[in-house]
Amino acid sequence: MKIVLDHIMPVPLASIQHAPDSIWGNYVELNSGKKILLNASSGKGKSTFTLTTVGLRNDYSGVVRYDDRDIRTFTPDDWALIRQDKVSVVFQDLQLFPDLTVGENLLIKNSLSPVFSETEIRRMLERLEIDNKWDQQCSLLSMGQQQRVAIIRSLCQPFEILIMDEPFSHLDEENTQRCLKMINERCDEQNAGFVLTTLGDDHKFNYDKELKL
Amino acid sequence: MLNKLLFRNQDKKQLIIAIVGAFMGITFLVTSVHYLIKVNEFGKGSDILGPNTIIVQKKVTNSSSLNLTKTDFTDREIEKIKSEPFIQDVRPVISNNFDVSFETADPMVPRFRTDVFIQTVDPKFLDVKSSKWHWKEGDEFVPIIMPRDFLVMLNTFMSASGIPQISDELAMDIRFKFTLKDDKNKEWVDARIIGFTNEVSSILVPESFMEYGNTKYTSGKEKKVTQIMISGKESEFGLVEDLLQKRGLESKNSQMVVGRLKSVVGTLFLVVLGISVIAVFVSGLVLIQYMQLLMSRNAYEVRTLLRIGFHPSIVIKSFFRYFIKIFGVVSGIALLIFFIFKFFLDTMFESGGLYIDTSISAVAIGSLVFTYLIFGFASYQTAKKGIFKQY
Repeated sequence: MKIVLDHIMPVPLASIQHAPDSIWGNYVELNSGKKILLNASSGKGKSTFTLTTVGLRNDYSGVVRYDDRDIRTFTPDDWALIRQDKVSVVFQDLQLFPDLTVGENLLIKNSLSPVFSETEIRRMLERLEIDNKWDQQCSLLSMGQQQRVAIIRSLCQPFEILIMDEPFSHLDEENTQRCLKMINERCDEQNAGFVLTTLGDDHKFNYDKELKL
Repeated sequence: MLNKLLFRNQDKKQLIIAIVGAFMGITFLVTSVHYLIKVNEFGKGSDILGPNTIIVQKKVTNSSSLNLTKTDFTDREIEKIKSEPFIQDVRPVISNNFDVSFETADPMVPRFRTDVFIQTVDPKFLDVKSSKWHWKEGDEFVPIIMPRDFLVMLNTFMSASGIPQISDELAMDIRFKFTLKDDKNKEWVDARIIGFTNEVSSILVPESFMEYGNTKYTSGKEKKVTQIMISGKESEFGLVEDLLQKRGLESKNSQMVVGRLKSVVGTLFLVVLGISVIAVFVSGLVLIQYMQLLMSRNAYEVRTLLRIGFHPSIVIKSFFRYFIKIFGVVSGIALLIFFIFKFFLDTMFESGGLYIDTSISAVAIGSLVFTYLIFGFASYQTAKKGIFKQY
C-alpha cells in the first residue's frame, strides 16, 4: 500500500512559512513496510497530518491518494474497509471509550477483523504491565495507562500502515521502549510500516526515513 | 457490547412516557379501527337491501288524502335530495302500472292467488348477485324478492288449510306465476323467489320485467314515483334523518333504528380513532426525538466507532433495531390488550342487542402493521441521518 500526500496544504497552515523540506506543499510517499519518524515542534501540524492522512479532515488543498485513488472519492464502505484492514491509527486524544473497561475497549476493536484471541490480548497488556487493568473502566486509568491501551487497540487489526500521533507523550522511557518493540514486531509480522509523530525525541529507534513539518 | 456502549445511562423517564403513549395509542387505534369496520358491516347480508339504504315516502296527511298536497316525487325533488353532501345516491322506486296477480303454480302446494303490487329498484341498491337478478322475454322464470311478511301470510294460509308450513329455503323451490293483463290481453310468466326482505312491502322484480309489463300492459294512467331509495354515507345517518324530517318524509322504523344505531356507534369509534391516531403520532414523535437525544448524547461514541473502522450501517442498525424492538414489544402488548378489550366489548354489544361479527378485522391488524412499518421507516431514516451527521 502507498499513501501519497501530493502538495497538501491544510487551510489553517497556509499562511505560515514552511521549511523547504516540510511535507506541507511537497510530494510525500508513505509506503507499507517503511518505518517513518515525523519530527516537529508544537503547532506545526502533526495532528493535522494524522487526521488529514486518514480522511478525518477535508480542509486542505492538494490531493491525498491511497494507491492512486483520491481519498475524497472514498465512500463510507471504502473507509470502513480501510480502517478495518489497511490503516490503523493511534490518535493523540486516544479516542478510547471511557465507560467501557480496558478489556471491552480492546475486544470491541478486535471484533471487527479478529486477529487475536482474548488470551493473546491479555498477554499484550501483560507485556506493557497493565494486565491487572482488564476489568477497569478506561476513564479511571492514568493517561500513560490509557496510551498503552490505545496502542494495543491499534495493533488489534490487520494493517499495512500504522499512524501514531504522539503515542508516547505520557510514557516513561522504559514503557516507551516496550511499546515501540511491540509495535515494531507487529509491523514486521505483517510487513507493515508506521509513521510516528513526536515532539523531537527519536526514542533511539532506527527509522527508514524521517519527515519534517 | 455495542448496545452496552450506545444505550447505557439513559434518561428512561422520556422513554417510559413515549412507550406508555404509544401503547395506549396503538391499543385504541386497533380497537377503534376494528369496531368501526365491524359496526359498518353490521346489517350487511341480513337483508337484500344495502346496509345504509332506506326506502322513503312522503307522509300521508289529511290534506294529501284530500288531494291538496301531492305524495309523489318530482324529478327536481329527487335531484335536490341527491345534491346533499351526505347522500350517496337517490333512485326512484318504480311501481307497476298494469294489472298483475300472483299465484302458486306448484302441484305440491295448494292454489293461492292474489292481486299484488310489484316494484323495482336500481340493482346497485340490492345485495344480490347480478347473475341471478335479470330477466328477458322468453326466460324460464322471473326472479323475485319477496317481503317476509308475505311468507308469514302464506304460512298462515297453509296452516289454515292443514298443510305444513314452509321455510325460506323451501319457499325458494316453489314455483309461482304472475298473471299480466289488460283489457284485451293476458299473459302468464313463471316466477321464483331468490330472496326475502323486511324492508320493502311489495314484491321486487328486475327492471326489465317491470319495463316489459309497463309497456305491454300499461293502464294508460300517469306513472308516479311515490317512493324513493336513499343511500346515505357511513356514520352520517343523523343528517339523513334531519333531511327526512325537514322534507316530511318517512321510512320504516326498523331501517331508521339500525341506521341511527350504526351512526352513533360509528361516530363514537371515529372520534376514538382520531384521538388514537394523534396519540400514536405524538408518541412516535417522542420516541424518534428520544432516539435523536440518545444519538446526540453518544456523539463521541458514534464518532469513535466510525473512526476505528465500524461501518455506519452497523451503528445505524443498532439504533434502528433497538427502537423497532421497543415499538414491536409495545405493539405486541397493545394487540394482547385489544383482544382482552374485544372479549369484553363483544360481550357488551351482544348483551346490548348489537350482534356484530366477532371475527378479527384484517384492516385493524393491517393498521397495526402499517403503523409499525411507518415507525420503522421513520426510525431508520432518523438513525441514518444522526449517524451520518457524525461521519
